[in-house]
Amino acid sequence: MALSRKIAYINLTTGEIRTETISKELRKQYIGGRGLDIYLLYRNTEKGVDPLGPGNAAIVSAGLLTGTLASASARTHVAAKSPLTGYVGSANIGGFFGPEMRLAGFDHLVITGKAEKPVYLYLTNDSIEIRPAEHLWGTDTRTVQQMIVDELGDDDVKTLCIGRAGENLVKYACIRTSIKNSAGRTGIGAVWGSKNLKAVAAKGTLDIKLHDPLMALEYNRKIIDQVTSAKVSKTMQKLGTPFIWGVTNSTGLVRTRNFQSNQLSDADDIEPESIEEDIVGTAGCFGCQVHCRGKYVIREGKYKGIYDEGPEYTSLGAFGAEVGCRSKTTVLTGNHLVNYYGLDNLETGSMMAWAMELFEKGILTREDTGGMDLTWGNDEAVIELIHKIANREGIGDILADAPLEAARRIGKDSLRYLVHVKGMSNLHSDERPTPALALNVAVSSRGSDHLRGRPAIDLYHLPEPFLRKVYSNPIPYDGPLTSDYRDYEGKPWQVLWQEHCYEAVDCLGICKYHTVFLGPNMPCFQEWPELIRVNTGLSFTPEEIWEVAERGYTLERLFNIREGLTRSEDTLSDRYFDEPVPEGLPVVRGRCIDREKFRLMLDEYYRLRGWDENGVPTPEKLKELGLDTI
Amino acid sequence: MSESGSNGVKDRTTGQFRCLYCFTRVKPPRGAETFTCENCGYAWRIWWFSPTEPRIRGPVWDQHEKLSREKMKKQGD
Amino acid sequence: MEKVLVIDPEICTGCRICEQVCSVVNENVVNPYRARIKVMRWETQGVVVPMACQQCDTPMCREVCPVNALEKNPDTGVVTVNYDRCIGCRMCVAACPFGLMMYDFVDKKVIKCEQCQGDPQCVRFCDAGALRFEDKQKNGSAARKKQGKKLKAALSGRDQP
Repeated sequence: MALSRKIAYINLTTGEIRTETISKELRKQYIGGRGLDIYLLYRNTEKGVDPLGPGNAAIVSAGLLTGTLASASARTHVAAKSPLTGYVGSANIGGFFGPEMRLAGFDHLVITGKAEKPVYLYLTNDSIEIRPAEHLWGTDTRTVQQMIVDELGDDDVKTLCIGRAGENLVKYACIRTSIKNSAGRTGIGAVWGSKNLKAVAAKGTLDIKLHDPLMALEYNRKIIDQVTSAKVSKTMQKLGTPFIWGVTNSTGLVRTRNFQSNQLSDADDIEPESIEEDIVGTAGCFGCQVHCRGKYVIREGKYKGIYDEGPEYTSLGAFGAEVGCRSKTTVLTGNHLVNYYGLDNLETGSMMAWAMELFEKGILTREDTGGMDLTWGNDEAVIELIHKIANREGIGDILADAPLEAARRIGKDSLRYLVHVKGMSNLHSDERPTPALALNVAVSSRGSDHLRGRPAIDLYHLPEPFLRKVYSNPIPYDGPLTSDYRDYEGKPWQVLWQEHCYEAVDCLGICKYHTVFLGPNMPCFQEWPELIRVNTGLSFTPEEIWEVAERGYTLERLFNIREGLTRSEDTLSDRYFDEPVPEGLPVVRGRCIDREKFRLMLDEYYRLRGWDENGVPTPEKLKELGLDTI
Repeated sequence: MSESGSNGVKDRTTGQFRCLYCFTRVKPPRGAETFTCENCGYAWRIWWFSPTEPRIRGPVWDQHEKLSREKMKKQGD
Repeated sequence: MEKVLVIDPEICTGCRICEQVCSVVNENVVNPYRARIKVMRWETQGVVVPMACQQCDTPMCREVCPVNALEKNPDTGVVTVNYDRCIGCRMCVAACPFGLMMYDFVDKKVIKCEQCQGDPQCVRFCDAGALRFEDKQKNGSAARKKQGKKLKAALSGRDQP
């Protein structure tokens, strides 16, 4: 069965490896993936553990349905205490590694300690080998994967790895697989680097048995039809996630020149339709029919002729609007370099944009930058900065640190210009006119983030009765809801609902583009019980899945509270409240977040969650979720 | 804005897009590169996803800025 | 009527749903290594090529089989394995020039694509359209049409005679 896969505990200091089965009870409580991930992180780290010390646990998790006949069951979740925020470090990655890890017999890896010299792990058919990786140290994320394939003599080996950024302990280094798949956020790559862990490779040939194979086949066909018939999926198949740019930048919802504007005008060259001209085909992750990854070759400049995949929406911001660049070549090259080095593109772009604003304000000078001219839209400087950050050279060494550390090192008034939540930089979307999206960013369990609870469909102007239908499944909701994305009413519930929705797909190991993220009619709580049943034989009701999501999310909160989080950090940078957006359509122009209304939203969010006014889960809530004894 | 359909495209909205300012559904002539919303006057650059499916590519920048300033001024009065 | 599995590597997204579905239909489990179809990958160059048995007119697997375990159906053209006769010598695996006669190390038997009794499930699940199941007579028509269109476009730029 898919349920027979094991948890492996690997101590890199001692070389000791032991395995454990996963009880049915644990499955019922946490399902798998991100749910069991936080359970394992909470239990295998001590309070106050140094994120880059041997005591931190680097966890790799397959979802319950990863590798089964559930559409887009490609996902792997990784976790550790984050070196960026000091709170939950957690990120999700597609590609082909997760299914391969399951074929090799494992669902979860808990990696602790620190290897004396660089190593990598090789998982194959119920065995784990710690192999030397000194010869792999220093390689980029593409080369290392090929070297491991060559060394093991097997083309089918799939690898998670870090690049030079992870080795150099850049605090937002990511985990990578394939050409572009990345577990980007929260700096888990640096945690691997601190453990001298270069990669985890897997190749397995163990059957993933299904509970009802023929029903699973038919149900998969039904779900695929449901997903691909949505207009948003057709758009994704052609333009990938950059398609979001058209709506957001046209309206004025794109963070520009750090946080000085909300729209990059006259940027036709980096519009998704322009990028599409360079896309030679699309690629899909394991079993996915949305295949949103564009395949491209850089057409111009120093990196001409290099093949890569993407870029995602985030790269348009990171190497476009945030840094004031309007060049497709810069976006595609920047996207390639962060893949090459294994950097989180989002954090990289935000740090560069921040540095550029500091340069403009005179807080950073040419002396600090080693002569680099960090003026807005300097394409060459943007590309050079990526190299400097990854290699921790010059000013790059400061920018490679966590935003709050970097602000401390730079001093002066630099913190004022930093756009972050809990020490993690914000996405390039501008949430000042959209309270729902702003609340999501402020309360997200891994620091500023859109993939933990963004109610993206809030931007669609959907009729209230339709919204109510979506947001009353599976738990009835009779509070306020409005179609206007500028309102504050009802938004806390939307954020909470999305948080549970995304938590659930992360537990299942399914991609978010196959649930209610960008399309409101996608598979969700109603479809998942049957999907779980036909593939694994486990029975869940929609309400039970909701409860698993709530348990997982609450445990992430408990982890953060254990590490010192308070209500004061569930907020936004002051600029959200003090600087109205200057551009865009009149519906957004002049808007910013109202401090008092935001406070009320946060109160309401806590109340809906069963947390007290300080954001601490009440004893009753913990008891209800069975977390009182954790 | 419902997106489901048995075989994908919903006939009801084929050939149309929603104006991002006023959310009215508008139907540009086939192949048009720009289109001005009849309801609010905002002009959009169009990208044709397929010969029958238009998509907003972006604003006609100079017209947008002018119109937005006028509208904001009016709101201020 | 003979029908063949037509592959189009240019369209293939490399998602491997064909391998996934194939192993479920034939072996009741997800295990791409027991699938009859394989997606060959050159990831660093973004190249993927799905490959499955082409049901050769002169199947080398059949030619080499010492016990006549391989049969080519005269109507459908499909080459099938008669497991009652097969002795598991794997000479057919050695003989297939494409490596598409394979050995299943779990059930210890040779395996090959037998087109799911006329309804290949890999084709049914390949929404991208990289796999098609077409009349043998039509084989190549899609590529001819695609390239012909380019020629047509080039010619239409000229003055009419």
